[in-house]
Amino acid sequence: MPRRLYQWLDERIKLQPIKIKLLDEPIPGGASWIYVYGSVTLFLFVLQVISGMFLAIYYNASPDHAYDSILYIEQEVPFGSFIRGLHHWGASLMMVVIGLHMLQVFLYGAYKRPREVMWIVGVVLFLLTLGFGFSGYLLPWDQRAYWATQVGINIVGTLPLVGDLLVRIIRGGQQLGALTLSRFYALHTLFLPWAVVLLIAVHLFILRRVGPAGPWDPQKAQRIRESFYPKQVFMDAVAILLTFAVLFILAAWSRVPLADRANPSDVSFMPLPEWYFLFYYQLLKYFHGPWEIIGTLVLPLLFYALLFLLPFLDHTPRRDLLSRRGVLICGGLFLVMVFGLMGVSLKQSASLSVTDPAVEQGRRLYVKLGCSGCHQIHGEGNAVGPDLSYVGDTREADWLIRHFKDPQAVVPGSIMPGYKLIDQELKSLTAYMLSLKHSARR
Amino acid sequence: MRTQHSQTNKNHRFIDELTRRGFIGRTIGLIAALIGTALTLPLAVYTIIPALRRRSEDWVDILNPDQLRPKEPMSVEMVTSVRDGWLKSASVKSVWVVRKNDHDVVVYSPLCTHLGCGYRWEAERQAFFCPCHASVFDIDGRVLAGPAPRPLDTLPFKIESSRLWIIYKEFKAGTPKKIEL
Repeated sequence: MPRRLYQWLDERIKLQPIKIKLLDEPIPGGASWIYVYGSVTLFLFVLQVISGMFLAIYYNASPDHAYDSILYIEQEVPFGSFIRGLHHWGASLMMVVIGLHMLQVFLYGAYKRPREVMWIVGVVLFLLTLGFGFSGYLLPWDQRAYWATQVGINIVGTLPLVGDLLVRIIRGGQQLGALTLSRFYALHTLFLPWAVVLLIAVHLFILRRVGPAGPWDPQKAQRIRESFYPKQVFMDAVAILLTFAVLFILAAWSRVPLADRANPSDVSFMPLPEWYFLFYYQLLKYFHGPWEIIGTLVLPLLFYALLFLLPFLDHTPRRDLLSRRGVLICGGLFLVMVFGLMGVSLKQSASLSVTDPAVEQGRRLYVKLGCSGCHQIHGEGNAVGPDLSYVGDTREADWLIRHFKDPQAVVPGSIMPGYKLIDQELKSLTAYMLSLKHSARR
Repeated sequence: MRTQHSQTNKNHRFIDELTRRGFIGRTIGLIAALIGTALTLPLAVYTIIPALRRRSEDWVDILNPDQLRPKEPMSVEMVTSVRDGWLKSASVKSVWVVRKNDHDVVVYSPLCTHLGCGYRWEAERQAFFCPCHASVFDIDGRVLAGPAPRPLDTLPFKIESSRLWIIYKEFKAGTPKKIEL
C-alpha cells in the first residue's frame, strides 16, 4: 500500500529525483557509527518541538497560573508527566548529543576549509540551544525557575555600560514578573524554534553543497565511497532508536523536578541552574568584586571568539590528530576545566541536599493519603490541621510514629484519623516529615 | 563462456544487494513505526481524555435544616468552587430548599426547566412562578401550567452532622428528560 501510494504520487509530482538526491549522497570513507550524532540531534530537536507543542496545550504563561497549569499537567492529565518528562530529559539529552557532535567535528578537523561556514552556523545553533535551555527553565514558575533566572539575568547586569539596559530588555520591565514570563515564553516557543529551523536548513544545505569531511586519510576517503542509503541511514536509525529508548525510560520512570511555587519574598532559596550551566555557575564563584567582570564578560567573550574563530585559528589543511597537537591540547584542557568545575559544583550541591529515597517515598505517600486535605506544606493544601512546612524542626521521629499510629493517644481531642500503615510506610512518612526543615530549604 | 559467468555473478550480486537493501529498508521502517507508535498513543490520550472528562462537583454545606419551615421554600445562596482545568474559581449560586415534612427535604435547581430562567416562589398562590414564559410549578416541582417540559430539577443532597449538604448541578433546558450538563 505505501509503495503504491508512492508510485501514484511519483507519477504526478516526480518524487524519484528528490529521493535519489537525498539518499544517494556519497559518504567518503563509507558509513560509520561516528557520523550518527548530527542525525540524532535533529531527531531530538523534532521531538522537542512535538513534546513542546503538546505541553503548550495545557500550559499557561502567566505568573498567576503557570505553576497550576504545570501541576495540572503533572497530576491530572493522563501521560502529562510523561510528556513533560520527554521535554525535560529530551533537552538534557540534546545537550549531550550536541556535545558529542561538536567533539566529533573537532577531533576530525571537519570545520576546516571548505566547511568553516557550516561550523559557524553550528556554533550559532549551539548557542540558540543554550537559549532554549535558559528560557525554558523559567516557564514552570517554581522556586528553582524564579531564582535561577533571577541569578542568570543579574549576571548580565554586571556588564559595564550596557548591563542595566540589557537586564531591562530581558526582564521586560523593572522586575522579574509577568512581562518576563510572557517574553520568555514567546522566545522559547516562537522566536527560537523558527530561528533554529532556519539555521538547521542552512546547516544541512551547506552539508550537501560541500559534502561530509570523511576520514583523516584522504586516500581512504577516495578508496571507499558509499551512499548515504542504506548503511548510514540504518546506523542513524539504530542510534535514534537507542536514544529514544533512553529518553522513554527516563520520561516514564524519572520524576521531573518541580519545586514550590515561585515566591519572590522567600530569599532563602538557593537556586541551581540546569546541569549544562553548572560549570559556568561554579566558575563565577571564583571572581569577586572588581574581578567579577572576568567571569561575566572577559571569559565568555574569549570562549565565543575561540569557538567562532576555530576554523581560522586552526587553518592548516591537514586534519589528522598528530599534526594538530596544539589545538587538541587546548580543546582537552577546556574540557577538563568544564567537567572539573561541573564536578566541584555537583559535589558542593550534593553535600547541601542529600535526598534519601525514604523521603521521596514518604512524599508520595503523603500525596496518596490525601494529607494535604487538612495540612499545608509551603502553601499547598488546606489549613485545617497544623502547617507542616517545618515540622522536622519541632517533632522527633518516635513522636511522629506514635502519632501516626494513634493520633488521639498523643494529642487528645485531635480530629486526625488514624491510618493503618505498615512499618515501611510509617518510616518513610516519618522520614519525609523530618526532612521538612528550615535548613533543608537551601 | 567467460562473459556468461560474469553475467550470472553480477546477477547474484544484484539480487544479494536487493534483498539486503530490502531488509535494511524494512528495519528502518520498523524503527520509525515503533517510535511513531510509542509517541502517538500517549499524545492522543494526553490530548483527548481531559476534554472528555466531566467537571467534578463537591458537596457544599448550605445550611442547618432546622432553619426550614414546612411549606415555605427558601432560596439559599452558596459559594461553589468551580474547577476549570487548572483554573479554580469560586462562583455564587442559589438553590431552592423545601421542607416537605419533618423528615423530608427537597432541593431544586434554581433554573426553570423550560429555558433556564430563574423562577420565584409566590406564597399567596403556593406555587413557583417563572416570569419569562409563565411556567408554574407546585411545591413538589410538578408542572401546573405553561410551556415547561418537565418538573423542576432536584439536586442531590445529604444531611450530615445536622447540616444540609448539596451538589450543585445544571441540566439541559427544554427537554422532557432531565439531562445533566
